[in-house]
Amino acid sequence: MIGTVGEHRTVQRAAIVRAVLLFGFWTILAGVGVADLLVGVGVSALATRVSLHLLPATPRRYDPVAAARLALRFLRQSVVAGLDVARRAFDPRLPLRPGFVSYPARCPPGLFRSAFTAFTSLQPGTLPAGSDDGGIVYHCLDVDAPVVSQLATEEVALSGVVRHE
Amino acid sequence: MNEFLTVMVGLILALLALGLVRVLRGPGDADRMMAAQLIGTCGIAALLIIGVIGDISAAIDVALVLALLATFAAAAFAECARRAQQPDTPPETEGP
Amino acid sequence: MSAVLDLVTIVAVSAGVFFFLAGTVGLLRFPDTLTRLHALTKADNLGLGLVALGLLPQAGSLQNGLKLVCVWLLVLLAGATVSQLVAQAARREGSSS
Repeated sequence: MIGTVGEHRTVQRAAIVRAVLLFGFWTILAGVGVADLLVGVGVSALATRVSLHLLPATPRRYDPVAAARLALRFLRQSVVAGLDVARRAFDPRLPLRPGFVSYPARCPPGLFRSAFTAFTSLQPGTLPAGSDDGGIVYHCLDVDAPVVSQLATEEVALSGVVRHE
Repeated sequence: MNEFLTVMVGLILALLALGLVRVLRGPGDADRMMAAQLIGTCGIAALLIIGVIGDISAAIDVALVLALLATFAAAAFAECARRAQQPDTPPETEGP
Repeated sequence: MSAVLDLVTIVAVSAGVFFFLAGTVGLLRFPDTLTRLHALTKADNLGLGLVALGLLPQAGSLQNGLKLVCVWLLVLLAGATVSQLVAQAARREGSSS
């Protein structure tokens, strides 16, 4: 009985947070005229329903400080990744040692792993290209780089954002 | 400022055209799918700059829609390529 | 103030175009599908980010500025997702041929 009440609360909470975010997004797109706002209420209610259907609410909480730190880290790393590609592309010798590396991810397949692969696809030198038994297959620009330890650091950084209760 | 930005639009479009040559040559399907990504970044950058030069906020809306369409096109391409090679198997990406 | 903002625009948009150039050069020079995908994904996403950043001071209104940021975030999310899908397809193509 307590479980179902808790579940109901989780869904309610997620619905409110998502509806507010979607409505905010609508005001950016459509502006803040009276008619725009009226349509926006309907649209964001509909979008919230679809969003709860596609991505069901979970009791996970997120640590905003860790998330902000992760966002900064992500921006810095994507600049490094761009510079890395530029350096290799403009070098007349074309310094590439491409190949596949299997990364034994600790997280099970699911939403968190999807977030992890999306996050690491914009990291320097790594590109997730599917999975094999329990691991994620990464294509690397330089197989001699310390890819596995780099990915392990990213996994720890990303898991710091999710607070399990 | 507008002169500078116009030159930049020209450069970006030239780079986009050059990239499309590679995409046309292929050889694989995956090479061709990159066209969606190329347009999804270079094309959108050009649209955003044009929107700012002419103060046309609709151009930014077009860029937003183009970003969505490029994503769905590439996802559909990938799914078709997967089905063509391994029929009757579920997708590799799992739900939550 | 306006001169400083113009300078920000010129520096950031030029840097963005530089990364688009790097992406296209990589696309033309890199030897196989997956390495080309690296070039396209990483350099072009950064290029678009810098262009969007450079356009912010010229956006004219808060709404346009926020829209620019939304476009950039959407493209970032799309690039991160699509590059994996294309990489999976390329890997299958490579293993089956």
